[in-house]
Amino acid sequence: MQRKTRVIQKILKKVAGFVIAMVCLSIIVFYFSRLAPGDPLQSFYGDAVESMSTQELLAAKERLGLDDPIHIQYAKWISNTFHGDFGMSLKYKIPAMEVVSPLIGNTLILGGISYLVVFFLAIFLAICCALNEDSLFDRIICKVGTAAYYIPTFWLGVVLVLVFSINLNWLPSSGAYDFGKSGDVLNRLQHLVLPLAVMVLSHLWYYAYMFRNKLLDEFRRDYILLAKTKGLAKVEIIFKHCLRNIAPTIISIMAISTTHIVSGTYIAEAVFNYPGIGALSVESAKYHDYNLLLLLVLITGALVIISSMIAQSINEVIDPRMKELEAVTWRKRTKTSS
Amino acid sequence: MAEKNEDQFLMVHANYKLHIPKQNQPSMWKRLKGKPILSMIVLVIILLCCLFAGHLANHTPSSFYLKNLNEPPNSEFFFGTDSLGRDIYSMIWYGGRASITIGILGMVISTVIGVTYGCISGTANGKVDAVMMRAVEIVSSIPSLLLILLFVSLMGKQDIFKISLVIGVTGWFALARIVRSEVKQIRNSEYVVAARCMGAKFPHLMVKHLIPNFVSAILFIVISSISTSMTMESTLSFLGLGLPVDVISWGSMLSLANRALLSNTWWVIIIPGLILVITLLVITDIGNYFRKETNRKASNL
Repeated sequence: MQRKTRVIQKILKKVAGFVIAMVCLSIIVFYFSRLAPGDPLQSFYGDAVESMSTQELLAAKERLGLDDPIHIQYAKWISNTFHGDFGMSLKYKIPAMEVVSPLIGNTLILGGISYLVVFFLAIFLAICCALNEDSLFDRIICKVGTAAYYIPTFWLGVVLVLVFSINLNWLPSSGAYDFGKSGDVLNRLQHLVLPLAVMVLSHLWYYAYMFRNKLLDEFRRDYILLAKTKGLAKVEIIFKHCLRNIAPTIISIMAISTTHIVSGTYIAEAVFNYPGIGALSVESAKYHDYNLLLLLVLITGALVIISSMIAQSINEVIDPRMKELEAVTWRKRTKTSS
Repeated sequence: MAEKNEDQFLMVHANYKLHIPKQNQPSMWKRLKGKPILSMIVLVIILLCCLFAGHLANHTPSSFYLKNLNEPPNSEFFFGTDSLGRDIYSMIWYGGRASITIGILGMVISTVIGVTYGCISGTANGKVDAVMMRAVEIVSSIPSLLLILLFVSLMGKQDIFKISLVIGVTGWFALARIVRSEVKQIRNSEYVVAARCMGAKFPHLMVKHLIPNFVSAILFIVISSISTSMTMESTLSFLGLGLPVDVISWGSMLSLANRALLSNTWWVIIIPGLILVITLLVITDIGNYFRKETNRKASNL
């Protein structure tokens, strides 16, 4: 019984934390966007603003809620959000939610697949490197990986397009699918290859290197000696003992990395003109489309906060040693080692 | 000259340096070993080239040679011309000035904010500290790119100072966290307490006692934030949100890359990008040198 209430308490605490974080996020973003110098009225009605009469202008301002003091605008906006109404997109002139909702899926596909591929490959590469510590293979991978990580994502993308789709003509250079083939899985996969390659190349080593160092620390523990005297093979030791021990680290890093991967996804989307919320947010920043940008920032923020909370909960389940204090000191260590 | 006598104290006169036994000076090679010499040399070359851009350039970087649009590299235009007919060779050296300035300015701004914020948060009492760290956590849950987009959409036309301000203002979160945890460790040391007892104010404490103690811990991050700022600038310019095309930087040169893809002019994309990447790698390599190497035990596996 007591245990049940404790679990409920924990969940409530998590939910409260989430709500507080989201409210803070929305306030910050909202205040920022309304302080902008670009005139939203101008971007909504275009050049028609100049030919409007004063009364028409006032009516238009009323409709957009631009005349109220800023805190009332925020209150209006927050009450609207609970009804799923995030305001009009100032550029597309339809509700912001309608602009965003068909694109979220595309971004989740690209982001999700690259997230999984990056982490699977990172763990695999880390094991390979850690097994051959300081060998030629390890050193070459280290150098190449670091170089790939520091090449700007967008330039890597442009170069890949130049080589593979323009000169070799193997792969399509932009979009998520050819016109009229939105249901064709093979066609979609073809379009995913290049963005995915860019994402993996530019993020892989950052994580592989962290895991490699973590594994190397693990190899110096005493229990490895015991396992060896027991007669376990190297591979067995790694999979049965080492990976298990660093699993909390991996999951915590995966949680923090969401921001990083999302940033990369957005750049990749913009480079490849992939119809997702990343390319859209770049567009909306260009056209001062605040409502849209605000919604996108909120969605992204919520995504990141939720995923980090999930990771924390998983960590608590698989590793009871993990207390908050440990989490804090751990975070510091990974940051310095990055 | 006094005679050399091992058993007694020496009486030394004005030329006392003569009596100091000659120490074993490590050879030049030994001293340079393990240091990023190659990177230093490349960086210095790039910096000098940018500094003396006026002497190196054989064309005016901002003028349009409309007869020579999209010309491949040849003897007149060493690196070719772009779709506006500008000479890429001359632009690279002039553009480097802007890019490196943005890198350094961004680094300075983010370091100043991050170090100050971290020091305040580390020395403040528990509640203030918790609120300050929570705030950082919430803001850094927005991807930095999106945060920068927000700032950029607030601003009108970009210039070098504005863009480094945006990059600096959004790039200090990780640094502040590390500084805070370092400060937490040393805030209760005797010398800090002593300084406080003697009435030292916070700025004095920060500059004289705190910063010298954690400077080695943050050096790597500070140096690599130069390359982060430069990457950010070029990314933003490429996306059309950074410097306009007429302000020459490596990023704004790459903002023509999309157009170059259509006409398949590889030199517009590869050459400025390669220079940018080389600079980034070189800076990172130097930064890596400052990262403390942990002593490793032998592997048990």
